[in-house]
Amino acid sequence: MKRSVSTTLRDAWRRLRGGRRLRFTLGGALFSVGSLAIGFAAVNTGNNLLYLLFGAMLGFIALSGWLSERVLRQLKIRRHTPRGVTVERPIRLTYYVTNRKRLFPTLAVYLIEERLAEPAFISRVGAGDSVAVGSENRFVQRGVYALKTLTLSTSFPFGMFTRERDIPLPDELVIWPRTDRPVRLPAHPGGRGRQPFSDSSGGAPGARGEYRGLREYRVGDDPKDIHWRTTAKIGTPVTREYDRDTTDTVRICLDTRGEPGDEAEVAIEVAAALAAQAYRIGRQFGITTCTSDLAPGGGSGQLERVLDLLARVDFHPSAPHLAPPIDAMGCVLVSFSGARRASYGAYIDPAGIPAAPTHAYAGVTEADRRAG
Amino acid sequence: MSLELLHRRLVVGMGLVALAAFAGGAGFEPISMILAALALTLALIWQPNFAVSLRLERLWLPVAIVLLLRSLYHIFLVGDDVVIPVVDLLLLLLCAEALRSLDAPNDARLYILTFALLVASTAYRPGVLFALAFVTYVVLATLALVVGHLRRKAERHDVRERLVGRRFLAGMGGLSGVTLIMSGVVFIAFPRLSRGWASRGDVLATSIAGFADQVSIGEHGSRIYPNPEIVLRVEFPDGTPENPFTLHWRGRSYDRFDGVRWSRSAGLPPSIGPARWYEAWGSGRVRQQIYAAPLDVDVLFALHPLLEARSDNPRIQPLFDNAGDHIYWGSGSPSYQALSVADRPAPTALREARSGFSPAREHYTQLPPLPQRVSDLADSLTQGLDSNYDKVTAINDFFHTEFDYTLELPGSAREATLEYFLFERGEGHCEYFSTAMVVLLRNLGIHSREVNGFLGGQWNDFGQYLAVTQNEAHSWVEVWFPGYGWIQFDPTPGGAGTSAAVTSWLWPGRFLFDGLQHRWNKWVLDYNLESQSGLYQRISQLLRAQTSEGQVTPGQLPASRISIGWIILTLMVMTVSGVALLRRSRRYSPEVELYLQFRESCRRAGFRADQGVAPLSLLDELARARHPAHWPARSVVDYYLRARFGGQNLDVLERQKMKNDLADVRRALRRARAPTEAPQGRL
Repeated sequence: MKRSVSTTLRDAWRRLRGGRRLRFTLGGALFSVGSLAIGFAAVNTGNNLLYLLFGAMLGFIALSGWLSERVLRQLKIRRHTPRGVTVERPIRLTYYVTNRKRLFPTLAVYLIEERLAEPAFISRVGAGDSVAVGSENRFVQRGVYALKTLTLSTSFPFGMFTRERDIPLPDELVIWPRTDRPVRLPAHPGGRGRQPFSDSSGGAPGARGEYRGLREYRVGDDPKDIHWRTTAKIGTPVTREYDRDTTDTVRICLDTRGEPGDEAEVAIEVAAALAAQAYRIGRQFGITTCTSDLAPGGGSGQLERVLDLLARVDFHPSAPHLAPPIDAMGCVLVSFSGARRASYGAYIDPAGIPAAPTHAYAGVTEADRRAG
Repeated sequence: MSLELLHRRLVVGMGLVALAAFAGGAGFEPISMILAALALTLALIWQPNFAVSLRLERLWLPVAIVLLLRSLYHIFLVGDDVVIPVVDLLLLLLCAEALRSLDAPNDARLYILTFALLVASTAYRPGVLFALAFVTYVVLATLALVVGHLRRKAERHDVRERLVGRRFLAGMGGLSGVTLIMSGVVFIAFPRLSRGWASRGDVLATSIAGFADQVSIGEHGSRIYPNPEIVLRVEFPDGTPENPFTLHWRGRSYDRFDGVRWSRSAGLPPSIGPARWYEAWGSGRVRQQIYAAPLDVDVLFALHPLLEARSDNPRIQPLFDNAGDHIYWGSGSPSYQALSVADRPAPTALREARSGFSPAREHYTQLPPLPQRVSDLADSLTQGLDSNYDKVTAINDFFHTEFDYTLELPGSAREATLEYFLFERGEGHCEYFSTAMVVLLRNLGIHSREVNGFLGGQWNDFGQYLAVTQNEAHSWVEVWFPGYGWIQFDPTPGGAGTSAAVTSWLWPGRFLFDGLQHRWNKWVLDYNLESQSGLYQRISQLLRAQTSEGQVTPGQLPASRISIGWIILTLMVMTVSGVALLRRSRRYSPEVELYLQFRESCRRAGFRADQGVAPLSLLDELARARHPAHWPARSVVDYYLRARFGGQNLDVLERQKMKNDLADVRRALRRARAPTEAPQGRL
């Protein structure tokens, strides 16, 4: 398709600018207006000394532009994003900044992430020096947030203009849902006498049943179960797998067929709370949604995998029907529609689960929420 | 020094410099300037706390109201110069802001007030000191803006580390050269289209005697005491004449003498010859570019005979009156170009000048009642001489040979008479000689008149101009020769070419300063379109490769290109040297730099922290003194020792912690003064 002239020109201008932007601050705008006024007065009056002052003011503007550009150049930045960030918990992004300039320090530069309210601030990085700075933000909604570009912004040296430069630094932030919904693991389906999910006959993680075979080691598995001989032979850690009592395994089935929104988020949080409970009481747990499935496992690694999954899951009205890989009677259904609840061993209606005392509104960040 | 204090001092420095720039112009008012200077100097060394600052505000406010009312009064009711009252108010506001507490957010106000003062100074035609003040202001403003910006950022983000050091400040001060270069480029290149309409550029006019409508004998040259005040600065665009010290700078002529006083007759008919007469003088011409100091008389001084006077200053309109004197209408310092005849008619030609147009007889042969012996003297001196020229020459020679020149004034009124001078005293200053000669000539019926002006001057090598001072005030005679006009004769002994032909002043500095001042006036204050185009022509000539024949000789570079090459080479050497110096200064690793800063901070706090003191010894000293800086200092020294001697590479976080600990050390040292001696017997 033929591109329009305006698009072509806009792209050309963007390339020419090299990802840089220059904005006036209030002080800079006033200074520029003052410069024009002095210049006008010089031309009007013929007072030669006013030409000197006018030139000096233009010189300040030029020096400001040049220095602000120097400050943003030759910076090597590495971002460290934390893992395991939960909604409403402070997330600290750390930036390791190296100033590759030989002579010139970098002063008073902000590192701004798109859609994050609080930037990081570099007060000073000497020439050839490195520094670590961080920013602290909070997310109010779970999800995966793509970090594409990091914007360097400075109004150094005089505070007249703000120069910004975008550098591509792709990464992602995974925000887990809350796990503190007050929900109890229901009793094990299969009738009376069976232990509820919340009870554990084995108790501690790594409780054994009959030996089943070897499988690949997953983070969170008991290291005592690692089969070292096979591991040494094949070069990949493998662990023994035992037939555990199925009453120890919690299979959470999250029905993601429906409209996204607050109800969906509650359902996700309920599922996360169930997984966290199972982890706390030492059970193995797995999760199935309409579009994904995670085999049961135990330990903190399994919890992280479940929360990761829940962070990425989306609700959709035309998602396929929930199809757990095991007998549905062995699953705990979490669904606000309640469809086919009779097929499942247990059912939790998210609508009936109250919010945690400090629950926050849905949204991406506080800034988005305030923006409405 | 904290950033806040540094910033405040820089801005107050800007205020002082702007005040100096203003005081260097004509708008100087001693009382307000001195008070403002005192207040700003106080602000440099004393910064009141919040409570005192509040109390001071109660003091400033009523004074500000009074000054505001005064300004309004001048603006709306009086209608005279409004700048001075407004500047007084501005000075008060500046001093009030400078004496606020350090935490007051008044950065922008201080900048604006100092800049306003600098702008106000441009209205008063300041001298060359403005250049120095301007450069200093730009440097200070650059530093103040940077430090102020960093200060606000540090406050907002609670930054503890030191953001600026001496090297950084020096570098930023050097970068202000960019601003100055831009200022110079705009000044030179920006086209001058306006003629200007508003300038209080009139320096106070110098009062000078001898050019009023009436001049008395004994008054002219009455400033017998040396007066080196410069009244004219004369450049010769076509080359300096052979002996500039014999040049007579004609000012005003006087036709009527009443025995004591020379005056100019009202209703004088035209008394000059037609311009074509000057062609008979010769073809030589001398151009003069004259920069006159503002005098209280509207006289244009130039060499006689003046063919043309032209001024680029629209406020100066050259005119000439019926006597042929050149005057001007307007105000300000006259700056004009004069074209004069360089030659003088030959004696043989003047002897032949017998008949033709002569100016009004009653004016130029007028005599007061004089003793007969005056007429007899005239007859005796010219007996047997036929032509007027020979008679004039005889009388002229009489004074040269028989009389002496002196600056001593007559002792009494009787001794001050012309008769006493001619027949008793035999010496006097120039006015006596010129008056006596005119009187003698008029007794013979020869048209003549007295002329006042200046003779010679002092050559200023630095500025390449002739500086004519009030010391050179002089009187001489003009005699009418039909067909040639008024011809100059100087009867004063030693008045022809005996003016001190020295090229140095008693005070050499004044000479140099005057040259600077002249260049400042010429190239800055009076820079105009003509100056611009002349400069461009010169630059293009410099850059064009030409030999004297106008063609490039293969293999030979013109001098202009060689000069430019040397300049570029010099700049490159300076740049490389500067970079090498900077690189050499960064021979330390960051950890060593931080330790050196720590050691320097301890030394300033009074601890023994010389180069030979080991780090652990310094720590022991801090520990013995139970100094609060001891704990963060341990961390700093630990990191230093590990990096320097332990072979460890500190990672980014460790280096950051080292910096933070150093900031804590500095803060603790500032808060507590170090003991000069560690307490004995304690651990």
